[in-house]
Amino acid sequence: MLAGAQRGDETAFVCLFRDVQPALLRYLRVITPDAEDVAGETWAAVVPGLRGFRGDEEAFRAWLFTIARHRAADAGRSRNRRPAIPVDPGEPVLTEAAGRPAAPDAAEVALEAIATRAALALVAELPPDQAEIIMLRVVAGLDPADVGQIVGKSAGAVRVTSHRALRRLAEAAQRAGVTR
Amino acid sequence: MSPPDASPSEMPGIPFPGRPGGEHDEPLLDMLFGARVLPPDAPPELHDLARMLAALAGPADPSELAGEAAAVAEFSHLASPAGLSLGPVSLGPARHRLSRRPAHHRPSQRRATGRPASRRRVRRTTAVKAMLGAVVMVGAVAAAYTGALPGPIQKVAHITINAPAPQPGTRHPAVKPGHHGHARPTPTPHSQPSPPKRAAASSTPQHSWPGRTPALPRASAGPSCGPGPWQPQDLPVHYPSAPSGSVEARCPALPTPTPSPKAAVSPPWPAKPATKAA
Repeated sequence: MLAGAQRGDETAFVCLFRDVQPALLRYLRVITPDAEDVAGETWAAVVPGLRGFRGDEEAFRAWLFTIARHRAADAGRSRNRRPAIPVDPGEPVLTEAAGRPAAPDAAEVALEAIATRAALALVAELPPDQAEIIMLRVVAGLDPADVGQIVGKSAGAVRVTSHRALRRLAEAAQRAGVTR
Repeated sequence: MSPPDASPSEMPGIPFPGRPGGEHDEPLLDMLFGARVLPPDAPPELHDLARMLAALAGPADPSELAGEAAAVAEFSHLASPAGLSLGPVSLGPARHRLSRRPAHHRPSQRRATGRPASRRRVRRTTAVKAMLGAVVMVGAVAAAYTGALPGPIQKVAHITINAPAPQPGTRHPAVKPGHHGHARPTPTPHSQPSPPKRAAASSTPQHSWPGRTPALPRASAGPSCGPGPWQPQDLPVHYPSAPSGSVEARCPALPTPTPSPKAAVSPPWPAKPATKAA
């Protein structure tokens, strides 16, 4: 897919986009209030450089998220305000009382979306460094070494931070009743 | 307690095995990151956490793919031969489409990417300018040695580069009456000769997007500007691993804009763990 996109295959690029964009957007929503804009700028920077990129798909993800992080930082500086978390903490969570829409498929999709937003809201409550590392590891699927390159930490520090984040997340999930 | 671990007070009330101490749950947490299935005897809190992480990386919402059209349009534009010949020069309009932010709010585009392409563009432009200059110089010298220059200029050429002296009485001895169609035009003050470079430029395809500079010689002569969009042999791509199988499985329904790659998702995380596992 990546190689196809680099050769100019539009179908391969569409597939690449659909594969990466949701993770990119969710990551950006945790670190910047301008997630959609920054995602667009990220792709605007990625597309011209795609042809000259060397590496596999894992490296491509790391490269793309590095660009996204820089763009988010630029956006934060330009607006000169602290990034806010656009996820509403009061969002309905995935519980037994989550309601029951009519169509089963629509219900499943809605519950998945609600669960995703609820999980994002919980991650957004973490300290910023922990939230970012959780998103890069879980959503972007990067390993500690790649995450360390992006956030400027060692792989060991990333691993420790991610463990702490998971423990906090488990506690927050129990408090919020997101699960079960 | 080991130094890198969190203190028990930092995580109160978490009933993981090994609390307080923290080391014993780390293999299980690594299993969560590695998208592996937890053992049945793992604490229920970890199973709940796995479900929450699965939701975090859940299927794409259609709204999350809203920027697809703009990104594909930009990709298609750059993948076209004309776009390739100029690279990021022609990126302006598409970049604006991709971003809703006003121009004065957009951060600098210099970071992280685009530098190699910019350098290539500068080198290409410099080479083209040098080539054009050389062509003009050679043409002028050739005209001087054939005596085709106007009298005063031919005289200067005769003095400086030992070109033939201008013939008295005729300002352009090489031009015969009635041959305007082939050679140099008559040097009347109101009919200036059209430079060869303009004729060459008019024969190149014209493009309609803004910011487009006249076609460069590479656009019509370079091997990467053939009939196809990009020639694979021009790509210095090193692609050691071939994860296309897993990727195609994650993107099965390309013609339709269904965003969800759910079919290829394996618990606990649908999106990325497939790649990690592969």
